[in-house]
Amino acid sequence: MTHLERLIKRVFGNEIKLRSEPYIVINLVFAGVIMLIFAYSGIFSPYKDNYPVVCIHQKITGMPCFSCGLSHSFSLIIRGRISEAYEWNVYGLRVFLFFASQLLMRITFSGYYISDKSHRRELIIYDIVASSVIFIVVFYPFFRQLILSFISFHGTGA
Amino acid sequence: MEDVRSNAGHNLGVAALIVGILTFVLAVIPCIGTLAIIPGIVAVVLASVGLSQASKSDAPRGMQVAGLVIGIIALMIAFSQLFVAGRLARDSSKWPMDIKAVIEGAKDEVMKDLQDGSVSIKIESDGDVVEIKARSRRSDLEKTLEELEGVDEDTSDTLTKAKSDSLGKTN
Repeated sequence: MTHLERLIKRVFGNEIKLRSEPYIVINLVFAGVIMLIFAYSGIFSPYKDNYPVVCIHQKITGMPCFSCGLSHSFSLIIRGRISEAYEWNVYGLRVFLFFASQLLMRITFSGYYISDKSHRRELIIYDIVASSVIFIVVFYPFFRQLILSFISFHGTGA
Repeated sequence: MEDVRSNAGHNLGVAALIVGILTFVLAVIPCIGTLAIIPGIVAVVLASVGLSQASKSDAPRGMQVAGLVIGIIALMIAFSQLFVAGRLARDSSKWPMDIKAVIEGAKDEVMKDLQDGSVSIKIESDGDVVEIKARSRRSDLEKTLEELEGVDEDTSDTLTKAKSDSLGKTN
């Protein structure tokens, strides 16, 4: 039994083997990635502008893209400066809320999954549907922009 | 006796699904969408290897298929981001001329608006209101000018006639 499995047994009272429960492994990995994103936003400062990730789209085309300013926006939201975050990127807050909701869902759903063995299948289906709907709603402007770009290129015969 | 099914390729399937979902989220964001090609390829390769292992030992294949489908869709989105960025970069050489034409057009429109514009200034102070209305409709101004010129010509003609009449009478 690993340390994590022992910790899960202590918190939820149920024994679980991570090797045979991919849902818990996936949830743990996603929760870790989201926490890394938040740590990235917290560590790098919008005032020093020392972000290591640069916009590839801007490097290629020379013009800012739809998602430029998201890093600044996330950092400002973490620091509680919502209005400034909105100025950096209009969609910053909704994308941040998506990640925050996903972090909450990963933790909550994992807890339910471990403690309630009888509804695991339904829980996974509900999770997939809910996460997909939230993802589409949040990233709809990004999809729309991509599709419009395609249509405009097709329309001009490019 | 209970039939125990093999678990071959299961871990690869889980890895492919995780990488595939992360690639999907990355691919949608234009800033880093083109970078998602690399994890997208990784997800497809992992899923394919996992699927192959599962097929050989007749193990469940749901996780591997899910990873493969999500990986392929994510890869398509990432490639479309690259395509859009490439097209924008190619067309960017035309932009300076287009921008110049747009500015010229806007300038002409502003000049036309200024020529045919009307201005209203309202000043309120302690209940007193002063309103100044000025109109600079070019066509109206030209008409007024023509009328004024017409009046001047008539006036000068009348004066000349009166002068000649008075001179004739004197002679």
